Amino acid sequence: MNKEYSCIVCSKKMLNPDTAYLTIKCPEIASSAVPGQFVNISCSYFLKRPFGIASVDIENGTFDIGVKVVGKGTKEIASFEEGKEVSVLGPLGNGFTFDKDRNYILVAGGTGVFPINFASEYLRSMGIDHKVVEGFRDGSQVVLSRPDYVLCTDSGDKGIKGTCIAGLETIDKDYLSKSVLCCVGPLPMMRACGNWASEKGISSYVSMEQRMGCGIGICLVCVCKLKAEANGEEFRHVRCCKEGPVFPFEEVVW
Amino acid sequence: MSSINVKVGNVELKSPLILASGTCNFGHELSEYYDLSILGGLSSKGLTIKPRQGNEGCRVAETSSGMLNSVGLQNPGVDYFIENDLDYMRSLNTGVIVNAAGHSFEDYIAMVRKLDLHKDKIDALEINLSCPNVKAGCMTLGADPVQVKQIVSLMRKETDLPLWIKLTPNVTDIKAVALAAQEGGADAVVLINTLLGMVIDIKTRRPVLRNNTGGYSGPAIKPVAIRMVAECSKVLDIPIIGCGGIMSYEDVIEFMIAGASAVEIGTGSLIHPTLPVKITEDLNRYVDEKDIDLKDLTGTLELW
Repeated sequence: MNKEYSCIVCSKKMLNPDTAYLTIKCPEIASSAVPGQFVNISCSYFLKRPFGIASVDIENGTFDIGVKVVGKGTKEIASFEEGKEVSVLGPLGNGFTFDKDRNYILVAGGTGVFPINFASEYLRSMGIDHKVVEGFRDGSQVVLSRPDYVLCTDSGDKGIKGTCIAGLETIDKDYLSKSVLCCVGPLPMMRACGNWASEKGISSYVSMEQRMGCGIGICLVCVCKLKAEANGEEFRHVRCCKEGPVFPFEEVVW
Repeated sequence: MSSINVKVGNVELKSPLILASGTCNFGHELSEYYDLSILGGLSSKGLTIKPRQGNEGCRVAETSSGMLNSVGLQNPGVDYFIENDLDYMRSLNTGVIVNAAGHSFEDYIAMVRKLDLHKDKIDALEINLSCPNVKAGCMTLGADPVQVKQIVSLMRKETDLPLWIKLTPNVTDIKAVALAAQEGGADAVVLINTLLGMVIDIKTRRPVLRNNTGGYSGPAIKPVAIRMVAECSKVLDIPIIGCGGIMSYEDVIEFMIAGASAVEIGTGSLIHPTLPVKITEDLNRYVDEKDIDLKDLTGTLELW
């Protein structure tokens, strides 16, 4: 049975003035989550807020989330301190699936860096070869980067000047031909990366985002458009929280 | 012996708690959180003759004490439901309420005919004359007592299944509409569906909802629902199922005192999926402590 867990915030640090990183105790979520899945976290406002899982520590029974302040709910959650009790649903949705015989190119835009961080940790633990490309607006927004990541900024003040596409262009053709692309970020960025992958003849997966209600598939508000399954419909609405958030790029109506 | 069993007309329910249509789909998702057999029943996602993809997103807007939705009756269609979900709902060992919506009299009658063929698996039909998120039918029809009486009497001829009519609060006189449903032959009325509302993003000066307006639900609307249940309780002979903003066992009791024989929980389970488990435990404790049958509370309101 799934549960709504009552959890404690174990630690909190600010990655930059408007982005917090929280470690939350919940052994059940830590041991069962896969990259691309998310949790729903309560705050004093009416609806819970969804966050992609950024990391898990199975030994200590904790998971991490990154919280970028975009509204009143995220502002409150970013202010949570160690010891704060929160109500959590998760892990929710369908994450990425990885095949040991493939290479992976993980592409993160903005807050997409958090679920991509989990994916990279997971692939490292599985010994699966992969590269990470990160794109941010400017150097002040860069979080969770590592020296081996391909870093891009629109402003060019850190890493390669340009979008994630500029970073993707640095990957050599042989590596690319064996790769699958996994992308989390703003819709225009995921569309551009998916199109780029299609042009190169490689498959890609994207993590779709929409305003959510319940997070567990019962309210039907967080739909995204997928191509129809040949039944005369132009498209079909599917739930980001339940069938998604990860979908094959080619299935999405952009 | 104290008990939380209730009756809605001839329909016996083991608890007054029914999951409201549109907040439990067909039960699959919530059954991952608790055993749904503790419930009085489950009201299916609102069904239509043809499958519907619903409205464009964004479909949700939060308010300080509730939310607006504009799903627009996305559903797989009644035939798909009968083929794929009805047996599952029956297997949950709880009351099976099938919610039906339409755009015209013909739609509603066709829905009732189709569902009547499976009456052995259904405890009641909940007729949605109140969805605010579709362009035709539903709320437009359900706001007019003349049409409500007509449509209910036409459906009445098609089935012996209990007909519960879910009404819209977006009317001047709810009593007139509820009485029209009763005169048409309804077995119960469900009060209330969502209130029509709008939330504006002050940065973009556009409504948050892509559909501009949506149905307002959650604790904020409970006093409106309680008032309407209380008003209708004074004039109706048929039972009332109360719905609107229930978050606790006290809310359930308040609805029953106002005149409800049973209640529906909707938005509450979206926020806390296992809320009905907590409310069931609390109701059982309440009736034990008071040594009462919960159903005896129905309509015990004394107005000043």
